[in-house]
Amino acid sequence: MRYLFLLFLFAPAALAQPTGDLLIRGATVLTVTNGTLDNADVLVRDGKIAEIGEGLDAPRGVRTVDGSGRYLMPGIVDAHSHIGISSVNEATNPITAEVWTGDVLNPLDIRLYRALAGGVTSSHAMHGSANVIGGQNETLKHRWGLTDPEAWRFEGAPRTIKFALGENPTRVHGRGRGIRPASRMGVEMIVRDAFTEARRYRERQNEYEAARDEGRRMTPPPYDLRLETLADILDGEILVHTHSYRSDEILMLMEILEDFGVDRVTFQHVNEGFKIAPELAAFGAGASIFSDWYAYKFEVYYSTAYNAAILTRNGVRTSINSDSAELIRHLYHEAAKAQKYGGLSDDEALALITINPAWQLGIDDRVGSIEVGKDADLVLFDEHPLSVYAIPQLTVVDGIVRFDRAQDADDMRVFVDPEQIVDEATLNEHHRGHSHDESCLQDVATQDAWWLQ
Amino acid sequence: MRFLFALSLLSLLALPAQAQDRPPLDPGVRPVTNTFAITNARVIPEPGRVLERATVVVRNGLIEAVGENVAAPFDADVIEGDSLTVYAGFIDGLGHAGIAEQESDDNERPRDPGNPPREAAGLTPDRDARTLLNPEDGSVEALRKLGFTVAHAVPHDGMLAGQGTIILLAGEAPEAMVLRGASSLFAQFDGASGAYPATPMGIMAVLRQQVRDAERMQTGEALYADNPAGLDRPTYDPTLSALAPTLRGKQPVFFAVDGVLEGHRALTIADELGLNLVLGGVRESSMLTDKLQASGVPVFVSLDLPERPEADSTAADSLGGDTLPTNRRTRSYADIEDEVIALNARRSEAIDLYERNALTLHEADVPFGFATLDAKTGDIRANLRRIVEAGLSEDDALAALTTTPAALLGLDRSLGTVEAGKMANLVVTDGSYFDEETSIRFVFVDGQRFEVDADEGFDAEAEVVVTGTWDYRVISDQQPMTGTMTITDDGGSLSGTINAQGVGTLTLDDLELSGNRLSFSVTSDAFGTIAFSGLVTADTYDAEMTGANIPPLTLSATRRPE
Repeated sequence: MRYLFLLFLFAPAALAQPTGDLLIRGATVLTVTNGTLDNADVLVRDGKIAEIGEGLDAPRGVRTVDGSGRYLMPGIVDAHSHIGISSVNEATNPITAEVWTGDVLNPLDIRLYRALAGGVTSSHAMHGSANVIGGQNETLKHRWGLTDPEAWRFEGAPRTIKFALGENPTRVHGRGRGIRPASRMGVEMIVRDAFTEARRYRERQNEYEAARDEGRRMTPPPYDLRLETLADILDGEILVHTHSYRSDEILMLMEILEDFGVDRVTFQHVNEGFKIAPELAAFGAGASIFSDWYAYKFEVYYSTAYNAAILTRNGVRTSINSDSAELIRHLYHEAAKAQKYGGLSDDEALALITINPAWQLGIDDRVGSIEVGKDADLVLFDEHPLSVYAIPQLTVVDGIVRFDRAQDADDMRVFVDPEQIVDEATLNEHHRGHSHDESCLQDVATQDAWWLQ
Repeated sequence: MRFLFALSLLSLLALPAQAQDRPPLDPGVRPVTNTFAITNARVIPEPGRVLERATVVVRNGLIEAVGENVAAPFDADVIEGDSLTVYAGFIDGLGHAGIAEQESDDNERPRDPGNPPREAAGLTPDRDARTLLNPEDGSVEALRKLGFTVAHAVPHDGMLAGQGTIILLAGEAPEAMVLRGASSLFAQFDGASGAYPATPMGIMAVLRQQVRDAERMQTGEALYADNPAGLDRPTYDPTLSALAPTLRGKQPVFFAVDGVLEGHRALTIADELGLNLVLGGVRESSMLTDKLQASGVPVFVSLDLPERPEADSTAADSLGGDTLPTNRRTRSYADIEDEVIALNARRSEAIDLYERNALTLHEADVPFGFATLDAKTGDIRANLRRIVEAGLSEDDALAALTTTPAALLGLDRSLGTVEAGKMANLVVTDGSYFDEETSIRFVFVDGQRFEVDADEGFDAEAEVVVTGTWDYRVISDQQPMTGTMTITDDGGSLSGTINAQGVGTLTLDDLELSGNRLSFSVTSDAFGTIAFSGLVTADTYDAEMTGANIPPLTLSATRRPE
């Protein structure tokens, strides 16, 4: 297995990402969008789903996987995570729209492999929630083994940006530094001022371009990457994903977006979404939630495990996300909880971790369901994925097997830190439990400690 | 006249050796001669070429002649080179030679962390390394003693830390050190402390912004210069002005990157912004090889290597190479010892990769030199040996220290080889530089001779007598320790004992006399093993003591008269 990785390491960096061929035969195929097909075959050619049917033959040289007694579902899509990036929060300013997690991808992060082992084929590597308008995010395809960060981008995925409402930005900037925003009202004004300024910025640029085209001499107006990004949001080129919990702040942001003509938004966490599900549905907003994680701070006390069911039944495109390197390894369990609490159908529950998050990221034409023509991002389970006994056996990205439980050695790292001390004490510490250094407020402490002491 | 000259030559010879180390600082006294001849030495004019018995003549800072039939001029200070090897002076491709780290006296939080003063943000591309040079900085002599004669020195802190300069590792005044100024723009992923940009993604965004701003400033200035009527007056901005040569392609950007991830980021941003990139301080880049080949970006490999823990080798050996216990499907907490062994074996493989990095680049035809950036001076020679032991040939390692950096820095017409007409930067050793036993005897910088006294007083040819009874004394911050040691000669093989207070009489193990150097070790339950090594004169012996359980100490012994 180690040698396989060496092959990947020295593979030439190609513009197009590698794709594979595969035939998975006789599995129970959970298409998510077109019901369940018993004993069906799925043929993959050049990384795309070429055919779905019965009695398909593998073309010469194409690997066949026996799916009998197993369950094939679309690769899981996580609309909110922070793995595979070297920094999460540029927590030094309430607005940092110009920064981009896509600049700091880390394909060597072992947590990405563990996500694959949980059936996750795409994740949304988001900026953190320290700032009202944080950075732009990157949508990843989990092509584990490719070490060039460029190879991990979900090519063609729309740009997205992280906003954050409520306690996190008011704590970091308001209480931490004594600047705006110190309250939810301050958060609202930050967004409104930012959009207003961005609109003026774009107008100035347009004036300059018009003048230049008329042949008038004029010094070019200042270029500002931050305002440029904000103006792109107003132009509909960037999807907004906003960290939010309370219904009042969610309604507040929808009003702002309506005022500025921004119509694509997904609320992340959205614990009080159940209170305003009709309003979210009317706006056409997405909701990306935890199944049953709440009460870890004041603004998330008023929460319910029925959130997914209530939102879904009210017509809100809803997904369940991880926001954690641990939860990302069993999102299928998280989806199953939505069945337990609220009685969603199998397809509704599976949509929470496939086609719905894909829609929220603007990649639902490519992934999120098993349909001919879509990317062959697939997971094969031994049991039904909504069963507590389910374990992913094979995870496929673009038709290439990127996780195979039968080939899953103890140490799958592609990068080993030569200076990391290995001894029994550190290992014991490691085995005792995963650390919680992967939250939305990652990096903030190091940037804060400097003056908070 | 002739007589006067002979007189001064005599007085020079009479000077103690140490006084020749440095030229006298008093400007009134000049060296007696600026002409040197190293005669009958093994000369490596360039990597891969050897002149077995040649003479190198140095005059007034330049190499005047090199060859097997070259005679030493009458006015030359002659170094008899029969047992010596002469290399071209080494070049440090990226580091902080001669530049002390700035002490931060400002621990105040920036009033507005999101918009800090440019110095706090790390945006000081106008900071010129020439203004920071100090010939007395310890790094200058330390690097010179290792054979480095020229260095590319850059300021320390900040994402755009400043302009690099190429310096001679000698000089009485900062100005005298400068070979070429403003030779590069130095960039690094060094986030601001508690202020914007604090993260690598912030740095990427700021780089884009700075370049766009600098371009806009140039456009505005050009318009205004053409005809100022009706236009905004261009304002002076030191940051953006300093970026102009870079954007015009006149100045390379030396980007310090430690490994693969930062390497990708620097390559990506340089490609996007059209910067003329050089990567420096690279510790490991095997996963970057294809991109380096495709981009043609040269690399200065870090002379900092990860330490290899002692336990590693035993772990790897006990596993027998590739037969790592993988896929054991056992609970980790139940077999944690196996896991430690397996993880250490992979760690050891990772260290191999770092040692092989230069070799990997060489095999991929990526041009590379070496950088002392972040490397501990004391480790540099040992690390070069590790790199050679990992498979890079001595010739290729020498090229990465001389000809390649000379070419990459655009100085190959004056530096990098031992040939007539070039600057007299030389390293004179008593063997192969990459041999652990070899000592560096002289380093010439710009024709100025420096004697390296790494092993002062050692004489391999000396014949000394060590047998007898010695009274010794060990000075420590506690109570001084005294006692006796006895060495006897049993027909050509030495043996001995030492009497230590409270411990009793111990045997001297590994007793060895080489020239005038006497070394041995002593083991006891009380303090483990202590190694002694030092030089013997007529009736005295001074030895350094090293051991795991003791601080560095010195033993001084005097022999009792017979």
